Amino acid sequence: MSDNEVSMKVNGSTVSAKLDSRTLLVHFLREHLNLTGTHVGCDTSQCGACTVHVNGIPAKSCSIFAVQLENAEVTTIEGVANGNDLHPMQKAFRDNHGLQCGYCTPGMIMQAIDIARRYDKPTEHEIRHELEGNLCRCTGYHNIVKSVKAGVKAIHDT
Amino acid sequence: MYIGEPVLRREDEKFLRGKGQYVDDIRLTEPIAHAAYTRTPHAHAKIVNISTNKAASMPGVLAVLTGRDWLDAGFGEADGVWPVKDKDGKTANTVNRPFLAVEKVRYVGECVAMVIAEDRYQALDAAEAVEVSYDVLPANAVTSKALDEDAPILHEELGTNLVLETHHGNKFAVDEAFSKASHITEVEVPSNRVTACPIEPRSYLGHYDPINDQYTFWSSTQAPHIVRKYFTNSMRIPEHKLRVIAPDVGGGFGMKLYHYPEEPTVLWAAKVVGKPVRWTGTRSESLVSDTHARDHFTRGKIAFDTNGKILAMSFRTMAAYGAYEGQFQASIANAYHYCLLSCGYDIPAIYAEIKGVYTNSTPVDAYRGAGRPEAVYQVERLIENAAHELGIDPLELRERNLIQANQMPYKTAVDITYNVADLPVLMTKAKKLARYDELREEQENLRKKGIYMGIGTCVFFDMAGAGPTKMMNELGAKIGCYDVASCRVHPSGKVTIFAGSHSHGQAHETTWSQIAADRLGCDIEDIELVEGDTDRVPFGIGTWGSRSLSTAGMAVAVSADRIIEKANKLAAHMLECAVEDLIREEGGFTVKGTDRSITFADVADAAYHRGDRPEGLEIGLEETVFYDPKDCNYPSAVHICVVLVDPKTGNVTLRDYTAVDDVGTIINPMVLEGQVHGGLVQGIGQALMEECAYDSETGQYVSGTFMDYAMPRASDLPSFALDSYTTLDPDNPLGIKGAGESGTLGAPACVCNAIVDAIWGLGVQQVTQPMTPRKIWHAIQNANGN
Amino acid sequence: MFEFEYHRPESIEAAVKILKDIREGQPLAGGMSLVPTMKLRLSEPRELVDLNAIADLRGIYREGDNLVIGAMTRHTEVAKSEIVLDAIPAIAQLAGGIGDPLCRNRGTIGGSVAFNDPVADYPAGLIGLDAKIHTSERVIAADEFFDELYETALVKGELVTKIVFPLPEKAGWAKFSNLASRYAIVAVMVSISGGIARVAVTGAKNKVFRVSEMEARLNESFAADAIKDIKISPDGMNADIHADAKYRSNLVNVLAVRAVESASA
Repeated sequence: MSDNEVSMKVNGSTVSAKLDSRTLLVHFLREHLNLTGTHVGCDTSQCGACTVHVNGIPAKSCSIFAVQLENAEVTTIEGVANGNDLHPMQKAFRDNHGLQCGYCTPGMIMQAIDIARRYDKPTEHEIRHELEGNLCRCTGYHNIVKSVKAGVKAIHDT
Repeated sequence: MYIGEPVLRREDEKFLRGKGQYVDDIRLTEPIAHAAYTRTPHAHAKIVNISTNKAASMPGVLAVLTGRDWLDAGFGEADGVWPVKDKDGKTANTVNRPFLAVEKVRYVGECVAMVIAEDRYQALDAAEAVEVSYDVLPANAVTSKALDEDAPILHEELGTNLVLETHHGNKFAVDEAFSKASHITEVEVPSNRVTACPIEPRSYLGHYDPINDQYTFWSSTQAPHIVRKYFTNSMRIPEHKLRVIAPDVGGGFGMKLYHYPEEPTVLWAAKVVGKPVRWTGTRSESLVSDTHARDHFTRGKIAFDTNGKILAMSFRTMAAYGAYEGQFQASIANAYHYCLLSCGYDIPAIYAEIKGVYTNSTPVDAYRGAGRPEAVYQVERLIENAAHELGIDPLELRERNLIQANQMPYKTAVDITYNVADLPVLMTKAKKLARYDELREEQENLRKKGIYMGIGTCVFFDMAGAGPTKMMNELGAKIGCYDVASCRVHPSGKVTIFAGSHSHGQAHETTWSQIAADRLGCDIEDIELVEGDTDRVPFGIGTWGSRSLSTAGMAVAVSADRIIEKANKLAAHMLECAVEDLIREEGGFTVKGTDRSITFADVADAAYHRGDRPEGLEIGLEETVFYDPKDCNYPSAVHICVVLVDPKTGNVTLRDYTAVDDVGTIINPMVLEGQVHGGLVQGIGQALMEECAYDSETGQYVSGTFMDYAMPRASDLPSFALDSYTTLDPDNPLGIKGAGESGTLGAPACVCNAIVDAIWGLGVQQVTQPMTPRKIWHAIQNANGN
Repeated sequence: MFEFEYHRPESIEAAVKILKDIREGQPLAGGMSLVPTMKLRLSEPRELVDLNAIADLRGIYREGDNLVIGAMTRHTEVAKSEIVLDAIPAIAQLAGGIGDPLCRNRGTIGGSVAFNDPVADYPAGLIGLDAKIHTSERVIAADEFFDELYETALVKGELVTKIVFPLPEKAGWAKFSNLASRYAIVAVMVSISGGIARVAVTGAKNKVFRVSEMEARLNESFAADAIKDIKISPDGMNADIHADAKYRSNLVNVLAVRAVESASA
């Protein structure tokens, strides 16, 4: 029921689909487009594992219906690297052991890229507050904070 | 040399790009049906009737299955792998656990029926349409009340809620010591119920191939071979007919070891409907159905002489196991727990009486620390309170009682022997790193301004690396506790290692490769690691209990050593020299004093394709080692932390946290630090905010989502100051000890002690965990007689 | 969740028309409250009217002595807006403390106001600042807008279009968060304008309420000392696993004092 046509750009490519209006953006990405890098970790819009960019702004894809995004531009973790070259924020996470099991990582990186967009030199306190919507259970956040700091620096130094 | 280096992780690329393959990501060539479960809303009830007709007729529904269908199919119930006995050989009051409840439900969230449908929403809709009528019974989820006369009995056939009562240590010696004590401190120290909450919920995918009568099961699990073994009992599938694959797993922490109701029923459903079936839990399902942890109620006493030396400690503990035992059964509270009751202290007499009990709550099983954080917590809280009562600096009192280096190996009063450590060095390092003396000065200055700063500490051992199979069998284990590695050198000289451990964040692809590369003398890039597939890896025991390095890691090392032993013989033969004349250079083999050399790849090729070989040397270059460790190992640590307490709101700010760990040889310091960080935060969560809360009257589960179960976030925490000190474990050639659980053992004690240190002067001596702002505020009010 | 019809009007008029016409229409703003309740099957709207395409509902600007915020303005936008920071920094602080950064990127002031969650922040902010809620039909004073537990003065098909805040002389906001949900256990907005003080409390009861005793004292002297001894009765206050009534009543006092201190800083 309620088949809605929607057309949006995902990682630079236009995609069109006819969808049940209930289809959450995260399910559209994972199941219709097979972009499984965006993850589901909770059901109360808190964990942030589903974070993508919608029109350049990080948002929780578990709380947006795909049909809402007519003509929107969505970027997922799969769209962040430049071909074989990792994005500087991805490199920073690798260089600073900012991930362990990897499940929260895509969401963290999407938010971290936005931190770099808005801050030149975020303090540790600012980074920690900006990560309040991204839960991690493995790393204790210590190295994620380090990674974000290094990633912001790398992005602004280039 | 790779060992000891902070080698960057080889597994990161795929995770960073979003190319990890977790169970919910797996795609097959055929469409996958969805499973959903009907779960009971009652804590305790008889099942009067289950009607599935309405659900079965709903759109897209392929099947509706109940516990009765399961039994009719001839399948079994779950049994555990660790049936503990008490000292007299009396077995625990164990019951088998149904996967789908048939007669009765005993905890909120227990599975009663299962729906398989074409899509997720159809399955959820139909699961809600299964009609179950219940006869609701009184319920009890309060641990300390489980053995009350009027407590509802969960398992009528037992006639009791007691699982097992065990006594440890020497009651006589303890009573005597208390009678001579110059000071006694008593504290009630419950350890709160928490749950693992890995960000990836449990997820299972089952597939049945009727042509070959072969099953494939993808499980978000920490121990795929153990899962396969469970299936021999639950679905009665012989092991050679079932392939269990644990792909990328998004955190486990011990919770992903249990044979959950969803596990065998998903595979069964795949056979029933003739299509692959997947179930991925929602977070609400996780919080109520993942195994829970801790939930002890302990009364502790400690006795001192006039010099502040500990004479004895005594504990009476009631430990909840939930509605059914976990896979580790009564070992969590009745075996593992007591082993650490000496913590880092020289305590001549200890006595612990532990009663494991059934309550109407989710089953309790292993979670990072598994019984041992509770032990450290209760000991450390006693010592902290004693220090304040005696007016002795809390670190000074601990230093007076530390097990000294010259006392090692130290046999504790609970008959566990710590083999190597140097606690005074750890304490010195921790005090220096935390700037302890300055902290006390700062504390005093701030108190004059009405700011309540507290400094907490703890000193402990862990018992890691379970363990020698014989020892574990004696403690009740029905499984081996070794681990396995197959080192396969290909004719090209590249290497694949198949290991029975399973990394779900612990970086085995990097660290096992570091070990192998060093032992083989080759480049780390020439090595691939395979874990998590029962078709490819020999029987392994999986990753839990800080055990993989000292079992699987050692198996990797020994298998690599055996490879080199064989390679040396072949190389010597090829170079026409004696083995003693060979030196390893740049991965190859060179005759000493000459420039005659061959590469590792040359030898590998010869191993498979050269007939001219030494007498008796078998073709091939592959070694499998099942490494059964000689002993558990005993890492140790000292933690110091700083909190600021706002007495007006009870708010706690954790400002600093210092940890100095002795984990023996460090394979990768970067990976080690990450493990410590993660464990610390889980421990801090337990101390400050996490709780699986049950209504004390109805047994209703209240912490159903992250809106009520508080997860620590980056903004709640400081960065950590870590250091290490190495004493080598004498029982394994690499000198390694486990490290993964250190944080969860120490942090609850350290943080809670800091809070008590901050507000002792306001008349507060104890706040129950989690020490939330509300509780702290009330404790301060009550102390002031408000 | 249950199936629903999806509508995406591009003007306020079009949205109102749909909402008036259809039986069970539910406006969708940021979705950060609504969508989770739909996923948990706690709410079952059959017709969703997405307001995100209506440009006229967005924007922050000054209009004389008023600060105007369009209903679909995101919390992040309010928190970082130079205009807001200049006019009423307490509102920027309130917006910047809602949920988490990702929720703030989508959540809207209009959605929060229309939803009236008893532990949400904006309702207390609006009452504490004597704001006016402009809808598609009328203007409603904040004091008259918020009823108990998710109920407001809005009638069927009536949409919040913008919030107008008169600039106060001083205003301060203080919040104590639930560690799990990051919603308020208690939060207080305090302001004074033309000698009239307002103290609005959220989280403590099922409805935002004003503390008239504190307001009376602050009218005389807008200082923390004036109210620090005022104890609020815990009667009728919320109690759950996170906070009992007595603790909440304590927080009302502590946070009101801190809000006044913040306003005076």
